[in-house]
Amino acid sequence: MKKKTSTRQKSEFLWGWIFILPTMIGLAVLNFYPMIATVKQSFYKTGDFGKGNIYVGLENYNRVFGDTEVWQSLLNTVKYAVIEVPFSIIFALLLAVLLNKKLKGRDTFRTIFFLPMVVAPAAIAMVWKWLYNSNFGLINNVFHVNVKWISDPNLAIFSIAIIGIWSALGYNLVLFLAGLQEVPRDYYEAASLDGANGWAQLMHITVPLISPTIFFVLVTRVIGAMQVFDLIYMMIDLNNPAWKKTESLVFLFYKYSFDQSKKGYGATVVVVLLVVIMILTVIQLIGQKKWVHYE
Amino acid sequence: MKKKALAMLLSVATVLSMAGCGASGAAPAADTGSEAAAPAAEAPAAEEEAEPTSIGSSVEGELTVTIWDEGQRPGLQQIVDEWSAQSGVKATIQVVDWNNYWTLLEAGATGGELPDVFWMHSNVAQKYMENDLLLDLTDRIAASDKIDMANYYDGIVKLYQSNGKQYAVPKDIDTIALWYNKTIFDEMGVAYPDDTWTWQDFADAAKKLTNDDHWGYAIAPGNNQEGYYNTIYSMGGYVISDDKKKSGMDDPKSIEAVKLFTDMIADGSCPDLATVSETAPNELLCAGKVAMSINGSWMLAGYRDNEYAAANCDVAVLPYTKDPSDRVSIYNGLGWAAAANGKNIDAAWSLIEYLGSKEAQIKQAELGVTMSAYMGTSDSWVNSVDCFDLNGHMKMLDSKLVFRPYSRNTTVWEDMMIEKLQDAWTGAKPVEDVCKEIAEEMNKDLAEE
Repeated sequence: MKKKTSTRQKSEFLWGWIFILPTMIGLAVLNFYPMIATVKQSFYKTGDFGKGNIYVGLENYNRVFGDTEVWQSLLNTVKYAVIEVPFSIIFALLLAVLLNKKLKGRDTFRTIFFLPMVVAPAAIAMVWKWLYNSNFGLINNVFHVNVKWISDPNLAIFSIAIIGIWSALGYNLVLFLAGLQEVPRDYYEAASLDGANGWAQLMHITVPLISPTIFFVLVTRVIGAMQVFDLIYMMIDLNNPAWKKTESLVFLFYKYSFDQSKKGYGATVVVVLLVVIMILTVIQLIGQKKWVHYE
Repeated sequence: MKKKALAMLLSVATVLSMAGCGASGAAPAADTGSEAAAPAAEAPAAEEEAEPTSIGSSVEGELTVTIWDEGQRPGLQQIVDEWSAQSGVKATIQVVDWNNYWTLLEAGATGGELPDVFWMHSNVAQKYMENDLLLDLTDRIAASDKIDMANYYDGIVKLYQSNGKQYAVPKDIDTIALWYNKTIFDEMGVAYPDDTWTWQDFADAAKKLTNDDHWGYAIAPGNNQEGYYNTIYSMGGYVISDDKKKSGMDDPKSIEAVKLFTDMIADGSCPDLATVSETAPNELLCAGKVAMSINGSWMLAGYRDNEYAAANCDVAVLPYTKDPSDRVSIYNGLGWAAAANGKNIDAAWSLIEYLGSKEAQIKQAELGVTMSAYMGTSDSWVNSVDCFDLNGHMKMLDSKLVFRPYSRNTTVWEDMMIEKLQDAWTGAKPVEDVCKEIAEEMNKDLAEE
């Protein structure tokens, strides 16, 4: 079986590695090392400034499983994801189909929808905080209602998910637009000759043909939504009655690690999140066989 | 088939890299906290190139000074420049906003690269001192003719002590006072607050000042130093015992002090929890929605720069309970500290010595930076702003000064307290029960420290 490699092949091999080296180093230093360090930290009761860490085995994990705050924040995170992911995908897909047609001012619309993606999350949160304000906010004053959008414990996480949808829309839209470019025009022509209406074309041509893109967006959005932090951090503070019902897992990790300097316990929380995300992703990878069509 | 494999690979790679981000990337996302958000890259980049050249008796080279408040930078730079003129050492102040400041300091402490001179704060001082990260100033202070710890407010001096050693020189002091909206007082025909007010007068006035457009007063569960801590100590209760082992939140007097405010919420003269959680009391004051707000002197710049507040508001001393002698201001103060392993510790000490000297402390007040930690040097601070009569804050220095309650891990029980107090704010549970729960939980936290 052994084949002799030519000098050329050797040189290509070498240069190939040299070219990917910067990325590999970046990944190793910025992603892999912190990941391993975090997992390691979760087995320790950490001391100050990285000194005096005490190995405690699985004690942190035992505590996590008995900690109602962790379960509550997992539930909050799931609630957020369940709203944000499907809606941001469905809206983005419908908009992408519309914006893929020959439309006046199409580029302007594309830019407008992509804008939220460019704005800093902190600025987004500031504006939405004002929109949602129950006494002085625009929404309540325009519609003459008194809804406590971000301080009602039962409602706040959904209000935040709406902002999430709005922010993620542009990114999903761009990916779908790219996917739509690959769908051949003649399918639609044939379908309309056969009398298929717009809806039928969408469901039977567009969706199956860009299902790989939908799948990719779904996987990345689920991961992104499970890691929601900045929006909640900006919108909700300790004084807020909805605090406990909006705290996400990453938020909890932040609180333990940075506010309370319990880095070991914080790391444990985030490892739990990692496992949850992995399980969700594996399920999606298995489930895709049923609905994703590759050419 | 090829595409499928690629998609699989992509997904897996994304999971891995994003999971990594979850662990490491969350901290920088939080860089817009409540404190003055100053641009992080304030210092000229050139300064980093110059290495301090000398360690020893002569002070040469260049120092980095790091602080978190952009509002204080111009004044402090002026003072630091005066020191430079005397010592011949250049020092540049770098401003990093509150959240990033602590990230930077912690990273610096872990990696052994702290700034030469920087601010210390009560939240973390103990941790830094115990780990020998701060330069021990004890002997230098003893040898100095400029610095004598007896000249500074006691609580701030003690805060920066550990095992009998002094690790920072007090920089400033803050006081709490009663900010009020003159226009609303005039409109409702209520006399402005003065030093004769008791807390009962305060509650009565708040009721009179309430109508459909505005409330009398606003307080959130998080307003401890700017709220119930003051009444707790004024009414004879306490938050934490002197030995930091026992919570005083279940003391009947502490409960009464919290009840003062929850009763005001119940009778409608304070906005409900939802309102204050969405709009902070000081924002409500600036919007003309409340007549009074209790705030610390660090809020001065915010009120001064707010057009509405500058035109309509003023500040008076806090009320007392039974006798003017029980008028309490919960205070805190920053300290100037140096890195224990700094490259130029003699220069750093020389700068700290100057910043703590009577001369510089007077200057600090004069320039309107803050009130100074050196007793009796703050008088000129009153004139630093035209639109308010700062005697409200100044005179609180003559009241019973109580240092902000703290222990080794203050945030743990303070956050817990704020969360639990929400039930007292909404009336979901009686104040007594909430305070007793807090005390119980807090005792557990303190036992763990």
